[in-house]
Amino acid sequence: MGYPYSHDLEVGTILSRHFGDESARRLNVWQEYGGYAALAKAVGMDATQITGIVKDSGLRGRGGAGFPTGLKWSFMPQEPTGPHYLCCNADESEPGAFKDREILRWVPHLLIEGCLIAARAIRAEHVYIYVRGEYFPYTRILNDAVVEAYEAGFIGPDILGSGWDCELTVHIGAGAYIAGEETGLMSSLVGGRAEPRVKPPFPAQSGVFGRPTTVNNVETLAAVPMILSEGSAWYRQWGTERSPGTKLWCCSGHLERPGTYELPLGIPLRDIIYDVCGGIRNGKKLKAVIPGGSSTALLTASELDCASTYEGMQEAGSSLGTASPIVMDEDTNIVRAIRRTAEFYAHESCGQCVQCREGTAWVAKILHRIEMGDGRLADIDTLYDLCEQLTGRTICVLADSVVFPLRSSLDKFRADYEALIGGRA
Amino acid sequence: MSEHVVSLTVDGVEVKVPAGTPVIQAAERAGSVVPHYCYHPGIPSRPAQCRMCLVEIEGQPKLQPSCVMIAQEGMIVHTQSEQALEARRSVIEFLLLNHPLDCPICDAAGQCMLQDYAYETGQLSSRYEEPKLVLGRDRIAEDILYFADRCIICTRCVRFMEDIAGDNSLVVAQRGHKAYIDTFPGQELEHAFRGNIVDVCPVGALVHEDFVFKARAWDMDTAPGICAGCSQGCNIEVNVKENQVVRVKPRYNADVNGYWMCDEGRRHLVMANRGLRLDVPMIRRGDVLEAVTWSEAIEWIAASAPWGAGGVAVVHPGESNETLFALRELIGALGIAGGGYRMSRGEEVELPGFPRLKLRQDRAPNGAGAELFGFSETDAVPVPEAGQTLLVAGDRLLDAGSDYGAQAGFYVYLGTHMTEGASSATVILPLAGAGEADGTYVNFDGLVQRFHQAMQPPGVARPGWMVIDRLLREVEPDRPPMRDVAAAFGSMAAATPELEGLSWRGLGLKGGRTAGRATVTGAR
Amino acid sequence: MTRKIHPAVVSAQPFQVANLRPTDRLFEDEEGRDRLEKAISRYPDKRAALLPMLAYAQERNGWVSPESMQQVAEALDLTPAYVNSVATFYTMYNKHPTGRHMIQVCTCVACHLCGGEEVFEAFLEATGTVPGAMSEDGKYVVMEAECLGACGFATAVQVNDRYFENVTPETVGEVLARLEQDGGE
Repeated sequence: MGYPYSHDLEVGTILSRHFGDESARRLNVWQEYGGYAALAKAVGMDATQITGIVKDSGLRGRGGAGFPTGLKWSFMPQEPTGPHYLCCNADESEPGAFKDREILRWVPHLLIEGCLIAARAIRAEHVYIYVRGEYFPYTRILNDAVVEAYEAGFIGPDILGSGWDCELTVHIGAGAYIAGEETGLMSSLVGGRAEPRVKPPFPAQSGVFGRPTTVNNVETLAAVPMILSEGSAWYRQWGTERSPGTKLWCCSGHLERPGTYELPLGIPLRDIIYDVCGGIRNGKKLKAVIPGGSSTALLTASELDCASTYEGMQEAGSSLGTASPIVMDEDTNIVRAIRRTAEFYAHESCGQCVQCREGTAWVAKILHRIEMGDGRLADIDTLYDLCEQLTGRTICVLADSVVFPLRSSLDKFRADYEALIGGRA
Repeated sequence: MSEHVVSLTVDGVEVKVPAGTPVIQAAERAGSVVPHYCYHPGIPSRPAQCRMCLVEIEGQPKLQPSCVMIAQEGMIVHTQSEQALEARRSVIEFLLLNHPLDCPICDAAGQCMLQDYAYETGQLSSRYEEPKLVLGRDRIAEDILYFADRCIICTRCVRFMEDIAGDNSLVVAQRGHKAYIDTFPGQELEHAFRGNIVDVCPVGALVHEDFVFKARAWDMDTAPGICAGCSQGCNIEVNVKENQVVRVKPRYNADVNGYWMCDEGRRHLVMANRGLRLDVPMIRRGDVLEAVTWSEAIEWIAASAPWGAGGVAVVHPGESNETLFALRELIGALGIAGGGYRMSRGEEVELPGFPRLKLRQDRAPNGAGAELFGFSETDAVPVPEAGQTLLVAGDRLLDAGSDYGAQAGFYVYLGTHMTEGASSATVILPLAGAGEADGTYVNFDGLVQRFHQAMQPPGVARPGWMVIDRLLREVEPDRPPMRDVAAAFGSMAAATPELEGLSWRGLGLKGGRTAGRATVTGAR
Repeated sequence: MTRKIHPAVVSAQPFQVANLRPTDRLFEDEEGRDRLEKAISRYPDKRAALLPMLAYAQERNGWVSPESMQQVAEALDLTPAYVNSVATFYTMYNKHPTGRHMIQVCTCVACHLCGGEEVFEAFLEATGTVPGAMSEDGKYVVMEAECLGACGFATAVQVNDRYFENVTPETVGEVLARLEQDGGE
């Protein structure tokens, strides 16, 4: 269940049952909990069967984009002409998100098992788990689990006596948000700057080391063992038709009970904030929430009755993203919070595309000037125009990421900007 | 060659292009030049990162980079739609945010793709009010400076080095808006072809140090030339200001050098004409060489030379075909049986990403031409017997002393520079040097290529063929004259089976092949 | 001191640590050679061992010096320039020697909302330093960090390879005391 708090609305059976239980990190305990049973089942199945079950489950990528996982796997060549690779994206860096960290630190074997099943589904011979550099303590936990799993024969040659070989390597980054972008991650893993590249070729055609590759998020892969064990129909008992299953919600900001919760998709956002997380701390009112991690459009107090699904959040004018609501109370200086967000993206821009390299830094500077009381009304027009110029023009979506919170804050909290500007033309 | 052809419509014009052609090239065929920075036709990698070449393609929700978008059958492309123009305008605005706008002191001004496009989009003022980021400048190589503030991080230079030169020592350092181009701290770029990074730079970020503050683009005259540094025959553009070569750049020729040339070649022409130049004919009167007019010199030689008496001769593989042909005629008239030429050699340097181009071992442009006209390679300068005629044409006699040729009965020296070895000459005739005359060379591959005069020779120095033609007509008044270089080429081609079918005009700027490749097999 | 490290995890060793084992020649002792060989063995192309080896250089020396970059370049058949290009892309490789305790305070949006800047100021005051500069005794460097991925536990503070969560200006003293007490790791 959730960590550090839990709630009745939580499901917990898929990802979070053992959050907070340090003993679950040990292989012997994990096996007592039923660990690696799904892998034992998977080695008796072929790639198409595994992919079929995951397709039926409707599992969607938990890294933010929500792409159907089974479909992604099916893009891999069915007749391998050489090695295939699986990359597990544990470069969790989106401000607001800390769900993958909880999986790494409480249930590392769940992730390893998920990786291996996915590797079998895409005929990969090697799994690379790319963990963000800062996560030293959690990487240590994962490392210990990987070594245990190797020693027990769950990874390596002839897994569980099936004749199937699969290697797994943990690899850490060194401080680059953009390494969480699929092609950026691949570029970083092979020893380069984490610069995204244009697609095509798609990773399933040419990924790491020039070979077909699938990149999946930690939470996505961690959901796979239970789906395989219990079946797609079982998984679909939670969530909606288009957003099945459960999702880890990482709730931060001005909340009574911030933390991670495993919730069925579809609960109204308002309930997550006010019920699950106990509402706004110190009895304050909610001013705004960035619902899906810092790259999503912010919602106001009156917009919280949307369903917490991919489609529901989209209808509300935002997106589910990584399901990481950052909640701001009534005293929040919105301009300042958005400036912080913009500075983050400016700092993390890889610098290839002109718009992103120059534009994100410009946005941050304008916001800073407004915040310091040196803004002009024309700055608001400039910011709106920059929103246009930064949308849909670049190789990856980092530039777009700064636009969602920026534009929504301009739309919804223009008065806050104007108050700081004080009428200067 | 792909046989498959696709047809598409660009800005209302239907074009057919081979399958696999990027939209930017298809657009060019349709007459629409799409502005671009990171794309360079000679550099294979296409990061599509400058986002300048975005175009609208019907059916695609977003603008697409035309450098990597492959033309498809039936595609409808708009390069000038409102959306595309707006995207381009904004890229320029972004690029100018931290740009120092130091065009008045920038060597690229007038030939700058940022300046051109900024002018085109008509942005007269900036909305940017924040302080500009200042990065300063750095030395990238012994002879190349990097002005980081002007740099737009298109990475053409990095990718030239990586893709074409095969040398990964120029890189992007740091990231985001703090990124810049650099070598490893404390190291400089060392590569025989590194100068090309300056040519591919679309702005004024990379500049040859010997060109800094030398000339404004609009103050230079330009002529198409052929590099005389080796037998490759790179096509070049010679930039001249006040009758001085200030810069040599490669001129595109797919069959010879593509977009590139080596650094030795760049320096060759600048260096070739330095030193003590001969600028007036001289004839020996007693102990002294006396300056005379061309008429006096020609008449005097016609009257005094021991025509038909034989002797020894050495020519130079840096002379044009026209001059070498005329020299053969002159040598014949003097009764000399054949002549030699000396070839200086150096190490061959390859360009891995464009194997057709090498800095060749033969460090002169026209060894193949010298062979074609019957001259044969020799290691040493010929030593005439006492009283014999000696003819030296073009060889600078750097290894000869002041007594060289003293025993000769008649010593004719035709050249560009005064040299110790010419001290004993009977007559000295000043020739136009590299870049100072029109003519042709035959490269290592048997390609005959034209080069054009870029500047005036000093004093009354003249092209070799012109001088010799005048002299021979003094001796044989019935000889048809070579009135200009085209006529000189015509006379030469008529008398040379390997040049059959070639004409000065027909060669154009792409060159023509010799008929008999066998004659040039000696060239390296 | 030399631990037996499983090849599968050799590319994921914490590299911002308090206890350094400085060396001028990274790959000339047994440990260095072992790390290099194991890392290379995990990838079809040895360039992929670049990030792990830069990390190893920092794990031993506390920073990635130009000399380290040259040694890594040589070990992996890369140019030093390329290694520099990659090293400078990532913010966690220290390009200069740093304090024994590198204190990184998250001031990104979620921690900012919960007072990250105040925690940052409190650390500066308690250590008597200015942002990014080493304290005179070489013990501390305090700097702002972008999101550390512990947003629900604001303010998050990373000190070398450890996380401190829910830090407030009031608990800054406690954190420093624990660092003092634990010394190194």
